[in-house]
Amino acid sequence: MSVVEISNLTKRFGSVLAVDDVTLSFEPDVIHGLLGRNGAGKTTLMQLLTGQDFATSGTVSVFGATPVENAHVMKHICFIKESQKYPEDFRVKHVFKNAPLFFENWDAAFADKLIGEFRLPLGRRIKKLSRGQLSALGVIVGLASRAPLTFFDEPYLGLDAVARQLFYDRLLEDFAEHPRTVILSTHLIDEVQNLLEHVIVINEGRILVDSDAEELRGSATTVAGTARAVDAFTAGRTVLSRQGLGSLAQATVTRLSAEDRSAAAAAGLDIAPVSLQQLVVSLSGDADTAAAAASSATTVSRKGQER
Amino acid sequence: MTTLVSATSPAASHATTSAPRVVNVLRLHLTNKFTTLGLPLLILSFIFGVNYVIWLLIYTSTPGGDREAVQGTQYSGSIAYVFIYMAIIAVQVVLRTFPFALGFSVTRRDFALGTALLFGVLSLIYSAILTAMSYLENATDGWGLGGHMFSTVWYGTGSLGERFSQEFFGLLFFFFVGAAISTVYLRWRAIGQTVLWGAIVLIGVAAMALITLTNSWASVGQWFVDAGPYGVAAWSLVITAAAALFGFLILRRATPVA
Repeated sequence: MSVVEISNLTKRFGSVLAVDDVTLSFEPDVIHGLLGRNGAGKTTLMQLLTGQDFATSGTVSVFGATPVENAHVMKHICFIKESQKYPEDFRVKHVFKNAPLFFENWDAAFADKLIGEFRLPLGRRIKKLSRGQLSALGVIVGLASRAPLTFFDEPYLGLDAVARQLFYDRLLEDFAEHPRTVILSTHLIDEVQNLLEHVIVINEGRILVDSDAEELRGSATTVAGTARAVDAFTAGRTVLSRQGLGSLAQATVTRLSAEDRSAAAAAGLDIAPVSLQQLVVSLSGDADTAAAAASSATTVSRKGQER
Repeated sequence: MTTLVSATSPAASHATTSAPRVVNVLRLHLTNKFTTLGLPLLILSFIFGVNYVIWLLIYTSTPGGDREAVQGTQYSGSIAYVFIYMAIIAVQVVLRTFPFALGFSVTRRDFALGTALLFGVLSLIYSAILTAMSYLENATDGWGLGGHMFSTVWYGTGSLGERFSQEFFGLLFFFFVGAAISTVYLRWRAIGQTVLWGAIVLIGVAAMALITLTNSWASVGQWFVDAGPYGVAAWSLVITAAAALFGFLILRRATPVA
């Protein structure tokens, strides 16, 4: 049973289709990555899933019911968003004083530990926090709330590399002990690619990829070698991207079979798995090749999800 | 999923109705009591202090036996600040705490009910203080100077019930009207405010035109005289209730999206 079921969901802001006829589901106890460019519709989608915004058409079901104005569903959700607003007079400690009132699984000891690790000044006014400290505050609330469905929307803007690593480590550790459904939207794809079990790529409000992360990484391969050999090999294939440097070239192509791989090796080409980030960049950059790659990735991953 | 199944089973969900969450919203609002209680009372003390100095000045500069001048303070309106400030608190609560509460998975309904509860609690506290001060003012014969701030021709006289209910209804009026106005901003931003104030002005002008054209100003004035200060306060409940309903309906479709 899926935690989140979305069908034909559309959200229109004036003439802009922020979310365009999306049908999607999220499985329980999995860390999902929601990837895409700025303005792709990630935040809007999450706001629709958390009852913060209203759909133009289509349905959203979270834990089997609509999240909109549904306290029974909402109390299992924690949504950490980059643009979260706080009351004017709040200090950091006030946030932690209120969190247990609204998140029933709140772990105060865990929160205290994280506050120390992220070096968050409890007595400081929220208005005076740096961008990184504000992000740390959100990250701590998101982790310590232990909500069965936790959303992190660009959770680490302004966080330094040490703090980001801390976030990944604590998320994985706590996830192992307290499995829950996590949906993480981010630009720093390379950093989180080992964290993600399932990847959804959204572009211009449409779902480009909905695939197991391992599956997706296998769905494209980079071949590199002399430009002539590369072009000979890629002729007739779907090329996601190609870069040339003098007589050398490198191209990213869709799924290769075992025979393809040996053929490429025989032609003197180097074969390397493509990073998730490269894949998302090439998918989001060009809609036509994206569609081809997306179908190659999703058809495989969908097999296990037939209902 | 096991945790969730147990949490949403009928028995468990019955135990966690939205009532406690409404109370939690009230606690959220009262996180920083300086904003809702401390600062307003500080300013009230300051205004009282300034008034006291003025009474003292008048008292000492008028010849003994002739304290008529100080009696003029019974037309004081300095207490109006308390009421206006409640509207400001209402605006802050709606504009700043609403997006935060939604981020903490509070439904709009629970937020609205918890906020109404806050308005009720604050109105009770402030009415009790203002009523007590009005009796103190009477008992000390105007703080020994014949001054008036808490008991004037407009309010703070009559029976305990009349004094208290007048303050209470007045405070509720400013809370709910302030909140209703800010829900319009929350939902439609600056355009909403422009339209709202435009509509208020149009309705006001239309009402004035109607009264003038039908030569009814005398009867309007008579209505206020007949209703008296307590009657007017009681009638304000109609507008308060309308503002509460209006604010609730607008908030139900408001989003934290800028």
